[in-house]
Amino acid sequence: MLSIKNLHASVEEKNIIKGLNLEVKPGEVHAIMGPNGAGKSTLGYVLSGRDGYEVSEGEAMLNGKDLLELDVEERAREGLFLAFQYPVEIPGVSNMEFMKESVNAMREERGEEPLSAAEFLKKAKEACKQVQLPLDFLKRGVNEGFSGGEKKRNEIMQMILLEPKLCILDESDSGLDVDALQVVADGVNSQRDGERSFIVVTHYQRLLDYIKPDFVHILADGKIVKSGDASLALEVEKSGYAFLGKAYEEVEA
Amino acid sequence: MSQWLEQVIDSAQRDDYLSPVRQQALTQLKADGWPARRSESWRFTPLTPVEKREAKQAVQADSLPVPAIDNLNAIDLIFVDGVLVTQVNTLDVPAGMTITSLNTDDAATQQAISSVYGQVKPTRHMFGLVNDALCQHGIFINVEAGVKIDTPVRIVNMASQNVDAHTRVVVKVAEGASATVIEQGFGDTESLTTAFAEYDLADDAHLEHYRFAMFTDKAKQLGGSHFKLHNRTTLNSTMVGYGSELSRLDVDIHHAGEFADAKMNAIYLLAEGELFDLHSTIEHAMPNGTTEENARGIVGDKARAVFNGRIHIHRDAQKTLAELNNRNLLLSRRGVINTKPELEIYADDVKCAHGATVAEIEEEALYYMLTRGISRSKALVMLNFGFIQELINDVPSVAVREWIAPILSERFAQMEVK
Repeated sequence: MLSIKNLHASVEEKNIIKGLNLEVKPGEVHAIMGPNGAGKSTLGYVLSGRDGYEVSEGEAMLNGKDLLELDVEERAREGLFLAFQYPVEIPGVSNMEFMKESVNAMREERGEEPLSAAEFLKKAKEACKQVQLPLDFLKRGVNEGFSGGEKKRNEIMQMILLEPKLCILDESDSGLDVDALQVVADGVNSQRDGERSFIVVTHYQRLLDYIKPDFVHILADGKIVKSGDASLALEVEKSGYAFLGKAYEEVEA
Repeated sequence: MSQWLEQVIDSAQRDDYLSPVRQQALTQLKADGWPARRSESWRFTPLTPVEKREAKQAVQADSLPVPAIDNLNAIDLIFVDGVLVTQVNTLDVPAGMTITSLNTDDAATQQAISSVYGQVKPTRHMFGLVNDALCQHGIFINVEAGVKIDTPVRIVNMASQNVDAHTRVVVKVAEGASATVIEQGFGDTESLTTAFAEYDLADDAHLEHYRFAMFTDKAKQLGGSHFKLHNRTTLNSTMVGYGSELSRLDVDIHHAGEFADAKMNAIYLLAEGELFDLHSTIEHAMPNGTTEENARGIVGDKARAVFNGRIHIHRDAQKTLAELNNRNLLLSRRGVINTKPELEIYADDVKCAHGATVAEIEEEALYYMLTRGISRSKALVMLNFGFIQELINDVPSVAVREWIAPILSERFAQMEVK
């Protein structure tokens, strides 16, 4: 599914990702944990192709395609989905119009006919109910005036509608109470079908009680410094990142 | 003095019933001379593309096919390179409306034309004076009192050669009558077009007006639409401007009666390197009038938009309601917008507002949309076309709206963000 080899990336000439390797196979859930500033969010931005994130070395392949050669929208159409830590508010563009346009862009990529307004509305209503957002959120401007939790749920709603191959969830748990966390996790779990893969970026082990990872990786100073199974997350929860030693101290400094 | 203006003055020898106006215009042109660089009226719009031009008018022109506006069912009047190529006397015109050439021998018609020609358009517009003096072909549209004309009249100005084209439209809508007039101009050759229109709208008259100033590339367009409103006149005007090497539109709306309502929406979309200049002046000379003016534009790389919107509320114009708003979007740091809304108020009991904004592309929102697979051009349209779309949605004629909406969104989609 996703193969990252020796990835180096910088933002404003500051090296953030420094030789990252990661293999994600179909159906797998990988959690990436790590201290602040380790490059967790940067990884999502680099893979999605955000402007200003320069890759100087290495490769990232999605199902055999060189992601780094593609434009942002092409990566999305190849099945890459990034759930934002801070979803963007777009007043003036309705959530409905926004999602219909993106769903139809995906359909076009797959050679399918665009959905009619009525067909899309039906799907959107189902997804909206699934993440427990009131239906009038479909009519509102994209994320406009949504609370933090509502924005996160809106991201999951988009994920459900877009049916991506690989989902990167960037701190989708941050700022959520237990109920909202459950909704987000249920949304994600409903999309686990043995084929779709997930990279769950999080600070806290808590989310991983709800979304069971196959692998847990610790990202520090732009590299994966430790990998293990779900028990690694519990270890981090218990004793923090102290085991990272010097690398961690540098990051914090 | 510019070479072009000298030639204009020398060539303006014509003896007809409009000679007094032509003579007056010439006298003023001679006295005023060529505008100094940075003169207030042309401060941001250099006239260099005209200054050393060869002044030459076409004597005749061939009829050219004009793209139709679907479902509009308009009466079309076509000028090609300044020459009226439509046989006006063979047109099927609804009862209560007459359409005649300005070159008429009928004394009563001449008198009606003279009551408007050069009377509505202020004399401060230099190219308006040139048009006064040099216009060979023009149209007079007259709507009789109380007659509601549903059929729109479309006046098309096409520029195809490297000549100067001076065309004139004179419209009289009598008491309680209503009409729809569309002025449409286009061309991308080395042409110069001055197209001026004067509208005298009587008490209780209604005019639905459009001006599509869509000249591009090397074309130079210098035109104006000028309106005189009387008691309870209503005007609903929509303008669309493209830019070219030199493109300037002057609009004057004169509230000469009470309780008149003027609404004006203007849209400009300027592609790379284009220039478009819209000057509007609203004169509230009488009480209880309203004006609502919205000018909105998108300016591409190395393009320049000039907007000067003046509302002048005279001392007697109490209870005036006037709003003027100009919104712009810059697609590039190398695009330029010079906007100047001006309110000049001498009455003490009025409600007026004005504002101007310039925005840039929101990169974060654009990125967010791209990560959802939406194409860049589509995302830009969704993000940035909304404020233009609002004015498109406001176009009163369904046929016009359906015609112009895809043209404008397509033009925008092709504009590059740099």
